[in-house]
Amino acid sequence: MSKGNGIKVIVSMIGLDGHTTGGEVVSMLLRDAGFDVVYLGVNQTPEMIVEAAIQEDVDAIGISSHASNYSQIEELMDLVRKNDLDDVLVVCGGNIPKRQIERLTAKGVAKVFTPGSAGSEIVDYLVSNTRRLVTQ
Amino acid sequence: MKRETDYGYKIKPVYSPDDIPGFEYRKDLGDPGSFPYTRGNHHQGYRSRMWTQRMTAGLGSSTDANKVLKKYREMGQRGGMCVISDRVFSDCIDPDHPLGRREAGVLGWPGCSLLEFEELMEDIPLTGQSITLLGSCAPTCLRLAYVVALAEKRGIDPREVHGSVIESPFENYFGQTDSQPFDLNLKLFLDASEYVIRNKIRMRGNICSQHIQESGGNNAQALAIELSMYKEIYGLLVNERGLDFDEVALLPYELVSIGSRFFEEIAKVRALRRMYARMAREEFKAKKEKSCQMLIAVHTSGRTMTYQQPLNNIARCAIQTLAGAIAGCTALDNATMDNAYAEPSPLAARMSLNTQHIVAVETGVTDVVDPLAGSYFVECLTNKVEEEAYKILHAIDEMGGMIAAIEQGYIQGMLRDEANFKFREVESKERLIVGVNHLAIPAEEDFEIPIQELHAGDSEAIARRMEEWKKTRDLPSVTQRLTQLYADAGKGDRFNLMPSIIEAVKAYATAGEVMGVIRKARGLSYDPFNVIDCPFVLQ
Repeated sequence: MSKGNGIKVIVSMIGLDGHTTGGEVVSMLLRDAGFDVVYLGVNQTPEMIVEAAIQEDVDAIGISSHASNYSQIEELMDLVRKNDLDDVLVVCGGNIPKRQIERLTAKGVAKVFTPGSAGSEIVDYLVSNTRRLVTQ
Repeated sequence: MKRETDYGYKIKPVYSPDDIPGFEYRKDLGDPGSFPYTRGNHHQGYRSRMWTQRMTAGLGSSTDANKVLKKYREMGQRGGMCVISDRVFSDCIDPDHPLGRREAGVLGWPGCSLLEFEELMEDIPLTGQSITLLGSCAPTCLRLAYVVALAEKRGIDPREVHGSVIESPFENYFGQTDSQPFDLNLKLFLDASEYVIRNKIRMRGNICSQHIQESGGNNAQALAIELSMYKEIYGLLVNERGLDFDEVALLPYELVSIGSRFFEEIAKVRALRRMYARMAREEFKAKKEKSCQMLIAVHTSGRTMTYQQPLNNIARCAIQTLAGAIAGCTALDNATMDNAYAEPSPLAARMSLNTQHIVAVETGVTDVVDPLAGSYFVECLTNKVEEEAYKILHAIDEMGGMIAAIEQGYIQGMLRDEANFKFREVESKERLIVGVNHLAIPAEEDFEIPIQELHAGDSEAIARRMEEWKKTRDLPSVTQRLTQLYADAGKGDRFNLMPSIIEAVKAYATAGEVMGVIRKARGLSYDPFNVIDCPFVLQ
């Protein structure tokens, strides 16, 4: 189970969203797959998440969303770009409606995993698309 | 596919009297309306009191939510209204807080001042229906203050209003988070509870297992944690606040989550009533029969509402509503077909309320109480879930009770493990979900349902309104009452803050201000997020 070896990922809620179950389950499955997971938990602003991404030098940011506050994910993408973190992959997971998925991907979110996504799908996507693999 | 309950009991193909050895009708069940209330609290069941048929509201501004409540009334909502708070009010900051303005009105009602409650309730009576305001624990004291203040403004005795505005501090561990520390939440919960009990205000406290299950907990864990919460809270109100158990027992109600495993869900509710009745009588020496009757409302499970093929959720909701009705409940609010997307659209709300009406008037389920009693299978399941729950309950007792079990991380670990376990069961197809891991269809073939949307600009509008409105208040009066609250909050945990919170709320002090001042008096920062400073000079 060392597929994710060396890949460092932030998993976080955004804003005031308190629905942690999805993010915790994904953190656990990524850890089990050998990823280095930085779980930020609740009450994280876009600024805090970007700050943590810089400090921790992560390869990917995963936002777990269950609170319809998508504009904050858009703000996060603006900050990612502003801080020259274009090589950090941003993915989202949660019950995000189709129209919002289109808006988020237009903003640069690489992929949105909707409910029912398989754990292996998330693992394989991150393994194939993060910079660490590309530079190795 | 697994043929076992969610707590691991393997289900047999056939059940007989051998599966309920030693079954004694009077001892194990009793008639409906008799101890141990396994069969329900009322002898005549729904013939004497129909369940409250309601739908949760709250999205956008208070005026928007008011319109939705009126619409629900037209759709046949009966007996009570139910409003859920947005994340901003749940956290007890204000919409004009830099974090608040990003999501005011998202996921619920932005009830951060008495003004918002007045707008929510415009042209809606406070009496004659139950008033339920949900959210998290922290705003409990504010929600209660709003009800008392608005009742007084309308010339109504607050004792004539009934419903529920109080929520337990344990919710923070089950996904209903707020940003206040546990000890503060517990203190304010006890203050609000003591206030309603002493003043005979019929506002209930929601100590619920719904969120335990929505966070992953299984049926046995839900019963055990639920009863542990009751035990802890009863102990504090009786021993620390000096209240009589038979009065305290009128405070709580349970909101139970009902999923699709029909018989198991019905068995769970029956077992819960029995376990509760025995606990009230044996451990708390209840003197009144009413103190042994657990008040149970049903919420059909949001977590079972799928994102894929959302129309399938209508069928799930119908099965769960029927189970809730058969299990016996005082109120029912059901999930909606769009639950995996957003707050209910008018179409989805109507569908769900109609599901309740169909179950209520077309199926015959209200004609007879506890119709599955005596079924070998259901009685066996009732015993099994109870047996398993007692094991967990004893483990929690041995740790020193619910608070101690949380401090040791036992409850959090249990729920985390269970959520992972459930995820893996779905991944491995041991549990099948139609449209998700069974008979899935390509997304483009899926039927699109209308989705309620709220835009960033809507939150900003709510924030700006509050910003401007705050300046129009009688500021000397706001400051004077907050100063009093600040002084009272420094008088120790046993000093009840409800009277000074009510006074502050009447002067239109906001959620962020009231909680901020209390926090400051306890040596915490005014703002839980450390972004803004206290705007008042407190002597």
